[in-house]
Amino acid sequence: MEVDRTSHELRPMTCELGHLSRSDGSATLTQGDTTVITSMYGPGDVRISKEIIDKATVEVTYRPKIGLPKCSDKLKERLIRNTCETVILSGLHPRTGIDIILQEMQNSGSFLSCCINSACLALLDASIPLKYLIAAVTCCISDKGEITLDPDLKQEKKSVAILTFVFDSKDFNVVTVSTSGSFSNEQFQSCLMACREASKHVITFYRESMLKKLSKSV
Amino acid sequence: MANDLKTFQPKEYYRKFLEKDVRPDGRELGECRSTVVNIGSITTAEGSALVKLGNTTVICGIKAELANPKADEPKNGYIVPNVELSPMCSAQFRPGAPGEQAQVLSQFVVDVLQNSECVNLQDLCIVSGKLVWMLQCDMICLDYDGNVADACVLSLVSALKNTCLPKVTVNEETQAIETDDKITNNLKVQTTPVSTTFAIFDDHFVIVDPTIEEETLATGIITIVTKEKKLCMVHKPGGTPLKDSQIQLCIDRAIERSGQATKLIDETQCSLDR
Amino acid sequence: MRETPLSTCERDFILSVIADRKRIDGRQTYDYRKIKIVFGIDRGCCSVELGKTRVLAQVSCEVTEPKQTRPTDGILFMNVELSPMACPSFESGRLSDEGVELNRLLERCIKESRCLDTESLCIVAGQKVWTIRIDIHVLNQEGNILDCASIAAITALVHFRRPDVTVSGEDVTIHELDDRDPVPLSVHHMPICVSFAFFDQGKFLLVDPENGEEKVMDGKMVIGMNKHREICTLQITGDMLLLKEQVLRCSNIAVVKVQEISELIQTALENDKTARSEGRKYGFAESIEREQITTHHTDITNVDMEDITKTNHETMDEEENQEQENSEENKVTILEKGTGIVGEGGRNSWLMSDDDEDVKIEPSIPNKSKKHKQKEKKEAYSFGDDSEEEETVVLDESDLHMIKKVPGSSDSVDLQSLKPSKSTPGKKKKKR
Repeated sequence: MEVDRTSHELRPMTCELGHLSRSDGSATLTQGDTTVITSMYGPGDVRISKEIIDKATVEVTYRPKIGLPKCSDKLKERLIRNTCETVILSGLHPRTGIDIILQEMQNSGSFLSCCINSACLALLDASIPLKYLIAAVTCCISDKGEITLDPDLKQEKKSVAILTFVFDSKDFNVVTVSTSGSFSNEQFQSCLMACREASKHVITFYRESMLKKLSKSV
Repeated sequence: MANDLKTFQPKEYYRKFLEKDVRPDGRELGECRSTVVNIGSITTAEGSALVKLGNTTVICGIKAELANPKADEPKNGYIVPNVELSPMCSAQFRPGAPGEQAQVLSQFVVDVLQNSECVNLQDLCIVSGKLVWMLQCDMICLDYDGNVADACVLSLVSALKNTCLPKVTVNEETQAIETDDKITNNLKVQTTPVSTTFAIFDDHFVIVDPTIEEETLATGIITIVTKEKKLCMVHKPGGTPLKDSQIQLCIDRAIERSGQATKLIDETQCSLDR
Repeated sequence: MRETPLSTCERDFILSVIADRKRIDGRQTYDYRKIKIVFGIDRGCCSVELGKTRVLAQVSCEVTEPKQTRPTDGILFMNVELSPMACPSFESGRLSDEGVELNRLLERCIKESRCLDTESLCIVAGQKVWTIRIDIHVLNQEGNILDCASIAAITALVHFRRPDVTVSGEDVTIHELDDRDPVPLSVHHMPICVSFAFFDQGKFLLVDPENGEEKVMDGKMVIGMNKHREICTLQITGDMLLLKEQVLRCSNIAVVKVQEISELIQTALENDKTARSEGRKYGFAESIEREQITTHHTDITNVDMEDITKTNHETMDEEENQEQENSEENKVTILEKGTGIVGEGGRNSWLMSDDDEDVKIEPSIPNKSKKHKQKEKKEAYSFGDDSEEEETVVLDESDLHMIKKVPGSSDSVDLQSLKPSKSTPGKKKKKR
């Protein structure tokens, strides 16, 4: 199913915005075959126990496809929630709640970056005020030390380490890092720089999608 | 006067200290709190360690049980870490089912063990496909004063190094399991992963080993786990974006700290053997 | 989050439209909304859209022990999740009444109608059987989740392939997907649920109610049927009484609908099969229509990696060797057998024979007084240490019964006169 590609290419991306009628904002993003659907509700009412007086409460729910949510899913939720909290201008909506719900549809590699990118698209679709955009890119290091961007499931299984970086669109500094496996400092730095270059393409993709969506006014 | 400023404008209070390159408890920005390790105090457990990182206290106890291996991994044992945050350590936790923080910390420790390959699961195998060791590692936090993740990892690694498993044989004829408590083998720990947490304050101050006040005021945190000069995990869950140079500084400091912590564990272990 | 309730004028409007024997979206009374079935890359994964209602189903399998009462039967487990994505009022975690009803109806329709041959799931009788698990996630709620979910569940079951197994005596080998082609499940028939909404005290009915119609209906009837005209499940709920002619009429309508839907499912399965065998692209990525304004697609993008290697070398050169400076910092002090300490930064309420510790204790008191007993005991501990820096007392058995239990008082002055060992009986024996 996967087309042959070299190590410094991103897989084809497709997105569909606003297709869920009940949500305030929704996005389906596919990177290659990895598909994640994200919907968000907000700013809306929030339980008093979770209310913050000067900011909006951001809550993230992640649902895997098979089985009930486990501990590893909680860590994913925490990661995505912290990333979204950094981006959203929550001070503009105090005492409200912003709910982001992610559903795994297909996991064919680079799953965490697909989740974060689709969350950003859903926030854009709902017109939530953001400080900057965020772009996530995953790369993996093979046992020979080669870096592959946006790996699929087979490449991830053969790799020694998998690193996911999230960059902001203003200065391209690192917002989030999540790694698995062990690697050296030099490998870390080269992955960081490679992913930074790749994230610029992701930001361009967001821009083009929104331009297309807003090109006609109803 | 200082107390008033601390209550009403905690960020200003901290800013005044950080500008002079020092923190309210007298530490420099890159200095860790004094670390105390006590190994082998729980005699009923196969391995144990108590770690105090300043006031943050975590005690880890390891119990070994016999279990059946999974069908698709017949030679692998299990290591099951579990972090408990009870109302005893801080008022923010409620009794009952583990909350989000406890689950996140447990998953963090699981990831550290997996990424660093600290213990080879095949060493826990007794009879392939039928009998393996399952190590239940319980980390109980006794005092939540910031940077519990580092204390948990340190206590777990120290406890694993202290673990002694009794010799187990399966009688061929009766298929009965015989445990010999007198002969014990030390668990083979291949590497020593050490985690170092940094808090980002006000978008440009990076301080190591935050206390609970620093954690609540921080705008982001980054945790780096190293094993003998190699990185095995970089974890930055959101928070203020960091420049490459700042990340590099954190990595350098983490590698230094790892050397310090490894030395502490090894020398304490030696003192126990003597 | 709370859902926006249906306003009275909306409710009256819908009821008046229905009284005119029309529907809001322009359908006829017995018309279904447009059904779209899409399969994913994984076997057993399908997403069904019934109008705007969207449901995702995934089938997975696992080898487990069978139930004690049925040692030769496999297990079929269904789980319906009303995701908070579908409707703001759906909460994650505990299933609401609606969710429980949905779960039970689907179980009756699929599990209890014996559409899946559970005996074929047996590997070694009494020891190993396949457990088939169907997870259904509701993605968007626009009325009639039940029909959508039943279509998704049965389509996913037929689409799924389980790994091939060979049993030779006691050994069971589960073949990988690459070694041998996976095997389909043996599904006897495909039961599909058809929902009817009743109005006017059971006199008027609508097929496939959408969200607004569901909210104003008097009662509901669900008929689960397969294309062989066999009724698998029947349920009537609500505030109405039905004539027997109504029930018979509904079952006749259901026959026609189930035929149509079954044909649709078959076509979808055939298309997916040909796409896979011919090597064409398939999956969720392909199913997204490209020609819409709300979709966007880019092909493989090249990333410029040339600058990276240059800048990488520059940053590496800037690192310096700082190992010599740390020898002082790394000094480990062994306090006792099994206890070591390194570093001097920050405050520490354990007994250390450092004079500097006393100075640092002062600012920490206001914080500590807010915390609970255990902390205060430690504070008292360190105060008590002022007078006894050198001495370390180890408790014996004889000392233990002499110790009075001192309740954790906040008045640290009293405890200062006591020896620290007596304030915490027995616990911290060697930990000094």
